Amino acid sequence: MAEARIINLVEESEPNFSDELKEAGIDIKKLKACIKCSECASVCQMALAGLEFYSNKIVHAAILGLREMFLDDPSSSVWGCQSCNRCVEICPMDVKPFEIVMAIRRICIKEYAFPPNVIDGLRNYYTMGHAVIVKGYEKRREKVGLPPVPPTLIGNEKMRKRFQEILKNTVFAEIALFSLD
Amino acid sequence: MKIGLFLGCNIPLRRPDIEYSIRYMLEKLDIEVIDLDGTGCCPAFGTMPSVDLVGWCVGGAWNLSIAEEKGVDIITGCGSCYSSLNESRYHMEKHPEIKEKVNEILGKVGMKYKGKVKIWNVYNYVYEVIGLKKLKNKIKYNLKGMKCGVHVGCHNLWPSRAYTSNDKDVFLPTRLREICEAIGGKAPAYGSILDCCGMGALSSLAKNKSLEIFKNKVRLMIEEINPDLCVTGCSSCLIRFDNDWSQIYKQGDINEIRPSFHIAQLLALVLGAEPEKAIGLAEGPVNEIIEKIKK
Repeated sequence: MAEARIINLVEESEPNFSDELKEAGIDIKKLKACIKCSECASVCQMALAGLEFYSNKIVHAAILGLREMFLDDPSSSVWGCQSCNRCVEICPMDVKPFEIVMAIRRICIKEYAFPPNVIDGLRNYYTMGHAVIVKGYEKRREKVGLPPVPPTLIGNEKMRKRFQEILKNTVFAEIALFSLD
Repeated sequence: MKIGLFLGCNIPLRRPDIEYSIRYMLEKLDIEVIDLDGTGCCPAFGTMPSVDLVGWCVGGAWNLSIAEEKGVDIITGCGSCYSSLNESRYHMEKHPEIKEKVNEILGKVGMKYKGKVKIWNVYNYVYEVIGLKKLKNKIKYNLKGMKCGVHVGCHNLWPSRAYTSNDKDVFLPTRLREICEAIGGKAPAYGSILDCCGMGALSSLAKNKSLEIFKNKVRLMIEEINPDLCVTGCSSCLIRFDNDWSQIYKQGDINEIRPSFHIAQLLALVLGAEPEKAIGLAEGPVNEIIEKIKK
């Protein structure tokens, strides 16, 4: 168990955090409509799994502007979200906690605060068009009677070049997590 | 009728037996499968969606526009693909300014997303488009009353606002169970039916914790309904139910195991597919179930 921590809102709250959240796609009015009923926590699989930080706590911390807390803790907060959207489904105020989680991830990524596996997925996505590449796929495919290479980006260099071209026109290029050449 | 097969990552590269099964079952149900050449990752939630909202939609629209070009809707056996594609579609539908930005970017390589593609998962397509009556008429074998522990998969149900086809009550889903019953199985509800399998970001971040929620889920399922087999609606869930369950069972971390099938694999088998192809990459004890089906 992590130790309980007293949050000094005067020092730790960053009022401009809501501007960043807005920039990352969040409707701040909706975020602040949260009535703290914790319905989202009752269905959150991070809570079920025993993580100490989950849906309703993330929403509250976002409202309070605890920006540094998210950045300081890239291994145990928003990155464990399963994107299951139970919270979005159940929220009586349409706060959409999952979207808050994603917006915070976007802010963290710009500050290079994320767990190491994130970069591998992004690099695979950019270079091969697939986030998940499991070695030996050719043999597995042939074993079940399929051509060794699927009709996807992994086997289509020409399309991959076009795909990378469009990604170079997204924020992906600005944040420069790795070389795009 | 025809449909575009969206493969994603895990199905073609890790469990292509599911790809074989989807192709086989659709063909046997008189649906022409159209390959979506040049599609890639949906994109997965840990990639573009975590970087930028417009970027997510660019990644989604890349795939959707390839289907649009071919004039087909999309079917996928992966819950993450189903969810990510549907959510990017939904964001672009609700926010024309996002769609406009996306098309500015796609336009640089001569592509355009119009917003006409419908995205299906396997079981909703079977349930709604093909229909249980036709399915019943087409099957060669049936489940002979075997009990199925059904696991729908989170991404197949929520967020319902983004989905064009879904169970009536998304917290009490019945469609996948009804399909298992239509092919001669029993598919009772059980208390932990909606619990997540733990696959995904949680597994990457906190592997043991994610396995614990899986173990709790299946322990409760076995205690309550003691199924002969498990049936998933999603390929990631199948990897958890088959590959991961087999591993932890071998390591002695759990005392029980059940053979697990993706719904497309089960349908391919009852429609007559060769088991070596339809479920040739299973790690779990599937042979006994296959023998019973083929008896």
